[in-house]
Amino acid sequence: MSRSLLHLALLALALFTMLNTGCTPDSVEETTYLTPPGAEFMSQQAPPRVSRPSFVDPRGPRMDPNEIPGRYPFYWTRAIYSGWGRRGWGQSWATDYPKGDQQFLVVLKRLVRLNAYDWDNAIRLDDPTLRRFPIVYAVEVGGMDMTNPEVEGLRNYLDAGGFLIVDDFWGQREWDVFEYNIRRVYPDHPIVDITLDHPIYSAYYDIEEVKQVPAIGRAMYPAECYGCVPYVKGIYDEAGRLVVIINFNTDLGDAWEWAEDPRYPLEYSTYAYEMGANMIVYAMSH
Amino acid sequence: MERIFEFLFKYPPLFFEQGDFTFGAPMSVRLWLIIAGLLGAATVASYTIARGKSTVTDRGVMAGLRVLLLAVIIVCLLQPSLILSTVVPQQNFVGILIDDSQSMLLADENGESRNSFINEEFASDESELLGQLSDRFALRFFRFSDVAGRIDSPSELAYEGTHTNLSRALDVAREELSGVPLSGLVMITDGADNDNQPLAESLVPLQAAGVPVFTVGLGEESITPDIELGRIEMPRAVLEGSSLTVDAVITQTGFEGSTVPLIVEDELQIIAEETVELGPDGEPVVARIYFELEGVGPRRVSFRIPPQPGERVNRNNARSVQVEIRGEREKVLYFEGEPRFEVKFMRRAVAEDENIQLVVLQRTAESKFLRLDVDDGSELEFGFPTSREELYRYRALILGSVEASFFTHDQLQMIADFVSERGGGLLLLGGHGAFAEGGWQGTSVEEVMPVVLTSPADDPQGFFAEVEVTPTPAGLTHPAVLLGVEQDQVRERWDSLPTVTTVNPISQVRPGATTLLSGSGEQLALEQIVLAFQRYGRGKSIALTIQDSWLWQMHADVPLEDQSHEIFWQQMIRWLVDGVPEAVEAVTDREQVEPGENVQLVTNVGDSSYIEVNNATVTARITSPTGIVEDLPVNWTVQRDGEYSVEFRPLEEGEYEVEVTAERNGETLGSDKTYLYTAPSDDEYFSASRRTQTLRRIADETGGRFYTPEDVSSLPEDIRVTGAGVTLIEELDLWDMPFLFLLLLMFMGAEWGFRRIRGLI
Repeated sequence: MSRSLLHLALLALALFTMLNTGCTPDSVEETTYLTPPGAEFMSQQAPPRVSRPSFVDPRGPRMDPNEIPGRYPFYWTRAIYSGWGRRGWGQSWATDYPKGDQQFLVVLKRLVRLNAYDWDNAIRLDDPTLRRFPIVYAVEVGGMDMTNPEVEGLRNYLDAGGFLIVDDFWGQREWDVFEYNIRRVYPDHPIVDITLDHPIYSAYYDIEEVKQVPAIGRAMYPAECYGCVPYVKGIYDEAGRLVVIINFNTDLGDAWEWAEDPRYPLEYSTYAYEMGANMIVYAMSH
Repeated sequence: MERIFEFLFKYPPLFFEQGDFTFGAPMSVRLWLIIAGLLGAATVASYTIARGKSTVTDRGVMAGLRVLLLAVIIVCLLQPSLILSTVVPQQNFVGILIDDSQSMLLADENGESRNSFINEEFASDESELLGQLSDRFALRFFRFSDVAGRIDSPSELAYEGTHTNLSRALDVAREELSGVPLSGLVMITDGADNDNQPLAESLVPLQAAGVPVFTVGLGEESITPDIELGRIEMPRAVLEGSSLTVDAVITQTGFEGSTVPLIVEDELQIIAEETVELGPDGEPVVARIYFELEGVGPRRVSFRIPPQPGERVNRNNARSVQVEIRGEREKVLYFEGEPRFEVKFMRRAVAEDENIQLVVLQRTAESKFLRLDVDDGSELEFGFPTSREELYRYRALILGSVEASFFTHDQLQMIADFVSERGGGLLLLGGHGAFAEGGWQGTSVEEVMPVVLTSPADDPQGFFAEVEVTPTPAGLTHPAVLLGVEQDQVRERWDSLPTVTTVNPISQVRPGATTLLSGSGEQLALEQIVLAFQRYGRGKSIALTIQDSWLWQMHADVPLEDQSHEIFWQQMIRWLVDGVPEAVEAVTDREQVEPGENVQLVTNVGDSSYIEVNNATVTARITSPTGIVEDLPVNWTVQRDGEYSVEFRPLEEGEYEVEVTAERNGETLGSDKTYLYTAPSDDEYFSASRRTQTLRRIADETGGRFYTPEDVSSLPEDIRVTGAGVTLIEELDLWDMPFLFLLLLMFMGAEWGFRRIRGLI
């Protein structure tokens, strides 16, 4: 009986640990926020929430069935992967989806001369159609647990010329989860720092500092994760081409989604859009 | 036939051709006709009056035969004769021109070499032909091959000439004998002229001087069995690593339907081999062969067909061609109007090609550009080039999805001139901002495009169609379409590639343009022109009307190891820069000559805007195979802007390097290097059969005659009646022609026979 209780306690502890973000600020202070310049502009540009039935089946393509892939030169594509996450089982990939993607496209098209499909586009990693979209975006990969077909699909995708943008995962525990998954894709490719002299930081905007972009709920705090250092890392293929860019301890997606909210600091949304534009321009030319 | 004619008419046909027919009777012809008419009337009357068993018809027939008989007698009494101008014996000269080239050593089917005729008929003192000629004429002998000159006797002939120039031989003989009474020239040759000098230029003076040329054709009209490797069509310069496409023309007689190997060798190493199926006898077959050459610099590539069993001539089975492998890094400017994946994957495809520098200028926002692979920070810092000097630095230009309104009018004209004047390659890609959809109709660039633009569709969404791409028959043999597979696998490879898309409906090419790839799809009303090109001015323009060729790399149906996309773009860009001229370009009129032969070096000089320069100082530094250097000034030809030329004579055997430098006002405009190979030639063994048509033409146009060794015996007599030189008038009687006697007998016999048949006697 005591052994059963111990097991039960350990299980509860494990569950608690898995569900925790792993990085907790030491203190939380209420902060009064002034509306930063530009936020009103961003608020005006944001489209109303679109109630499109784009979240029916988490295992299928998300594009409007009336849309033929290829009409537009660019589709902002989100990776659907198996795993777990804060939003419930298997929906970690859908963080900020679809508003974040749509919001991102609206502003991105104003910044960059990009002939882009206006709506979200989510594709499973094991779907052959993924190869139709050479840039794919994966978020909250701290809850990733890819199936073998997904691993193979992602590997083939990257080997063929695809580019993976990873975003919005925090702390050592989530890093370990992601690293475990990406090592299944590329066991022998090291994950390296993308230093500020890399061309990606000057592909469109000149970025001189890597910032920690907080989620909307943490935006009023000085930092989402005290002691966490934001990193931009990457993986190169055998030909020396950057094929994966990893935004760790930062949440670009939330900045894209909430840029129009006056509470969201302009500093972070600006950085997030700059990084977004740079990543896309870089990935479409390298 | 001639003998029969001469038997019947007493003299050969040439006498009747050259002479004038007349009647020599003392009384006038009219009086004789009156007498003939009276006799004829009396004859008819006598038959009319006569009675007996004969009917009117009988009397009519017999009267007619008798009248004809009388007519023949009257003709004889009129003393018909032939007035002829004949040469005065020993008062005139005849030039004997004897072919002294290597082809005269070829053996005919009877096993005897062609020069054996010359030895028997002209080099031997016992020759009857030579004796008859010597009796009537003063003979002057000439030898000719690529050069011509007097010889004292045919015994000096050596048959070492490596080329034959008939025109030069006629000119030399005519000029040497212009001061003497010349009855004619006798040219003894197989007629295989391989210097390609127009004959008419030499025949006209002979016609004007009234000098007939009598040609004696030696050799067979068709050498059988024989295979000949004729023309090799190969570029004179290629970029290192390029796949060479070479066409070899093969003709044969006696090997119809056989297959032979065509072997390509580079410095004694076999680099390619192709099995060729030969066509019908006498019909040329074009064999296309693909290979790559390694290394940089001048190379000598040999093509040969191993001698086949029973083949008569083996030395015409091989040819060598000079080619220069260029190691330069060719700069290509790719201007893209918006971020597209085409940029990414095209760069990836050519990234490892060390001979291509793909400079990308990508517009990312209004007045904002991303520059990739530029040489330094100043290159394209203000966007698309605004001057010819800046644009012409590139050898090729690729325009992506960029609308025409982005460019100024001057820039549009500059793009057109980039192709027509600079000679650059222009590639236009499909996209929302391309072709008619990008407003390119009515611009100066539209003229350059190989495709015809039609007004964009009214659909607010714009045209969009999926396209299945297929090579056309022309595309199946084009290097850009081969995708690195054997020719018989090209269509299958293209069928395996996924569909792509287009937003530019184009179904028509310009006259003179060639379609290499076409497309079909459910959304296409007409067949889509996918890849087409045309020559325009000094350059070429290519249209690739699809917008996402990168799918041939990324699509899930394409295996990761498939290199079709990479090969396609590597070949496309190499094709784009192939043949693009430099501002200073030097070329020799031939890439291989014999030691001692003159070579013409022509240099085209332009400035950085490729405008022809006429006041440049151009120098050619010629380095011989043994390292002897000679500097020659190259002068403006005056006939054409920017064209300079000089003639030189390489004396050594081997490879010559010719480096040309052009300067103006102390500033170097540019330089170029070309190579020349000197070696003994085997041209005499190519097309070595007798050229009867050429020899007949020479004879006919000058008033002479063509002979073969079998009928050359009449030559002395034929020259006698040409009327050239010092002549006298001869009157030849014709009344005693056997033909007239036979006519008399025939009519008499016919009347007697008729009487017998009709029972009148």
